[in-house]
Amino acid sequence: MMTGDLASRRWDVIVIGTGIGGGTIGRRLAERGLSVLFIEKGRSGYRTEQNHMAGDDVHDPEARLIRGSWPDTARARIEGQERRFHPAIGAAVGGSSVFYAATLERPEAHDLDDSAERPHPTGGWPVGFDTMLPWFDQAQALFEVRGQPDPLADHPTPNLSAGPAMCEGDARLMEGMRRSGLHPYQLHSAMRGVEGCGSCLGRKCPRPCKLDGRSAGVEPALATGRAAVAERCEVTELRGDGPRITNVVVRRGGETLEFTADHVVLAAGALSSPRILLASRCAEWPEGCGNAHGQVGRYLMFHLNEMFALWPRRGEGYAEAAKSIGFRDLYHAEGHRFGMVQAMGLNAGEGEILNYLRGKIERSPLRRLPGASQMARIPAKVAARVLGQAKVFVGLLEDMPYAENRVMPDPERPGGILIDYRFSPELHQRRKRFRKLIRTSLGLRRTLFLTYQPELNFGHPCGSLRMGTDPARSVVDADCRVHGIRNLWVADASFMPTSMGVNPSLTIAANALRVGDAILAAPKASRHEPLALSIPS
Amino acid sequence: MNPAAKLAIVTGAGKGLGRALALELVARGCTVAGLGRDETDLSATSKLCPVAGAFHPIACDVSDYEALRAAFATIRRLGPVAILINNAAVYPRRDFLDETPESFMQTMAINLGGMVACSRLALEDMVKRGSGRIVNVTSFADLAPIAASSAYSVSKGAARIFTRALVADLEGRFPEIVISDWIPGALRTAMGLPDGIHPADAARWGAQLALSSDPSLNGTLWERNNEVLEQQSLKRRVFNRLMMRAAPTPRVLSAA
Repeated sequence: MMTGDLASRRWDVIVIGTGIGGGTIGRRLAERGLSVLFIEKGRSGYRTEQNHMAGDDVHDPEARLIRGSWPDTARARIEGQERRFHPAIGAAVGGSSVFYAATLERPEAHDLDDSAERPHPTGGWPVGFDTMLPWFDQAQALFEVRGQPDPLADHPTPNLSAGPAMCEGDARLMEGMRRSGLHPYQLHSAMRGVEGCGSCLGRKCPRPCKLDGRSAGVEPALATGRAAVAERCEVTELRGDGPRITNVVVRRGGETLEFTADHVVLAAGALSSPRILLASRCAEWPEGCGNAHGQVGRYLMFHLNEMFALWPRRGEGYAEAAKSIGFRDLYHAEGHRFGMVQAMGLNAGEGEILNYLRGKIERSPLRRLPGASQMARIPAKVAARVLGQAKVFVGLLEDMPYAENRVMPDPERPGGILIDYRFSPELHQRRKRFRKLIRTSLGLRRTLFLTYQPELNFGHPCGSLRMGTDPARSVVDADCRVHGIRNLWVADASFMPTSMGVNPSLTIAANALRVGDAILAAPKASRHEPLALSIPS
Repeated sequence: MNPAAKLAIVTGAGKGLGRALALELVARGCTVAGLGRDETDLSATSKLCPVAGAFHPIACDVSDYEALRAAFATIRRLGPVAILINNAAVYPRRDFLDETPESFMQTMAINLGGMVACSRLALEDMVKRGSGRIVNVTSFADLAPIAASSAYSVSKGAARIFTRALVADLEGRFPEIVISDWIPGALRTAMGLPDGIHPADAARWGAQLALSSDPSLNGTLWERNNEVLEQQSLKRRVFNRLMMRAAPTPRVLSAA
């Protein structure tokens, strides 16, 4: 179908973005009988593509977009220091998820709930963990999640199926961790592990194996015959008449198109959904759609990646890269929120060690020596040979919501991302504790942290359209409907009031299903009903 | 068509190296669609074909891109295109002062344009399957162009750049679509030299290369049956020496 044809009809629902959130909600709605139009900035591409997310080596925006990667650099002011970089986010059907490692982990109850023992930084999400459980279960079924139950969990996971047989080395390493008093388990993965499965960490895979926003979302939605994708369409603004969105305006090449639907779902990602709202201004929304209280784009969070190399103890060494081990012993410890520790599926190679050495050089007088950073290559090579079989793990450290940390449209570049972020003193302290705990918990195994400075995981942005009951301090309500707007919903990581201590994908998918059910339950919008609602103040 | 047989396209299959390549690929079990301008030449290739029905002559000028589209539509009825050997070329001996802009660009339209158009059309099948093989027949004519060869030299140099540009666009996304350059050497053909290599000998190397689809062949250059490695910078050589890393050794086609 031509894009023009897609614009000429009225859809039940328009979903902006096709990642985990957009793909999942679009599938739910199409399978329940609604007509769904996905609007995607990138392309559908070819199903046979196998590329990695484009790094800094590909800088042409068109070439990046063809590779399903965010075309432009983002501008970030971290601690006031400006830098431009290519964020690790996708821009194609499936969004970032076609590149993801498919680790779909459930959060803990304390990630959502407030309690006396584990007070929640926001007083708790408006939706409690127990209320979310049925949707976590459905998301686990939909994404065919496999792995071992977390031995420390106190809630059942009925839809988690057994994972593939672990390699002997992983099993030995896990046994050793158990002897140190830890509770490792096989990570929860949304991969079918078909014959010839390569590790598709950071890579698109043409096989019917990895379940992501494309394979478990958009493709099944299209199979219903009720959905379509408008590709290469960048949403520039939402138009409305106050309490209702009437048109979605997009740029496609040099052309402007408008789409219409009864409901509009924002799922462009936590760095983009807020920018769409902020760019949507009219007499009723002078500060941007849903932004009467200046909350859009704020409370932006990332995880902090505490990467470390772990050398198995004598007799535990093995050549394969550990990829399936995780543990939650430090998730909440000594009264603090940290996060889970996971294998990254990498052996500590030259690149990781080089990074470590360069970090050391940057902090020493050697940094003034020209070429010192290049010279580090040689010891890195030697070390990679000598140290060999170290496995790279990452501790995902929860980030906390602060109103000053935010994303907004870059005034210097139309369509550009501008991030303002500061590390709070509290975060520095928690980080220090987390690293110390990681080191001590692993007993006598040798560990080496591969990062010095706090390293933001730009692939895990969240929180920028926070969910809450008070319109003055949040953007969406408990159903993820934008306060004051009847037919505008959010189904990406923007809604999260806190960043949790796990990978966000499962929670995004579960919440997208929940929001989908709320849309299905919403009274059918009539195009001619009088517009009597006012924006709550 | 035997469903197990790979479908290969050879351009310029009516004569010389193209004919030899088509026959060699048939002998190695492929179904071959042979493109050529002259129907008589193509039917002569057909008559030499060792397997009945394995060679499909398609009269078509590779510089007529509309005709090429129709030719590919016909070929696709045989199955998806798995191999393309871009062999068709002309070599007009002409001093540049005897060229007109039209005559020069006509050579480009055949030698470079035909390669571009056939590659583009074959890739439609290849990206659907995520695999395929393209061999571009090129030459070193661009390194030190000889007299009376301006259009040919430019087109062949451009062909080698075209291969690298294709690899830049496709390799990361489709590692199993393998594209390389092959320089067959001076041949004993109408276009070549009287004491050159017999086209049937060269065709064995070319067919072997076209039937080898290891992703490591992507972007490689082959002269006759030898891989030609890129010159390494002095810095890289010193670095490899320091790392006690062996210098890369060029590969050789086994069938030679």
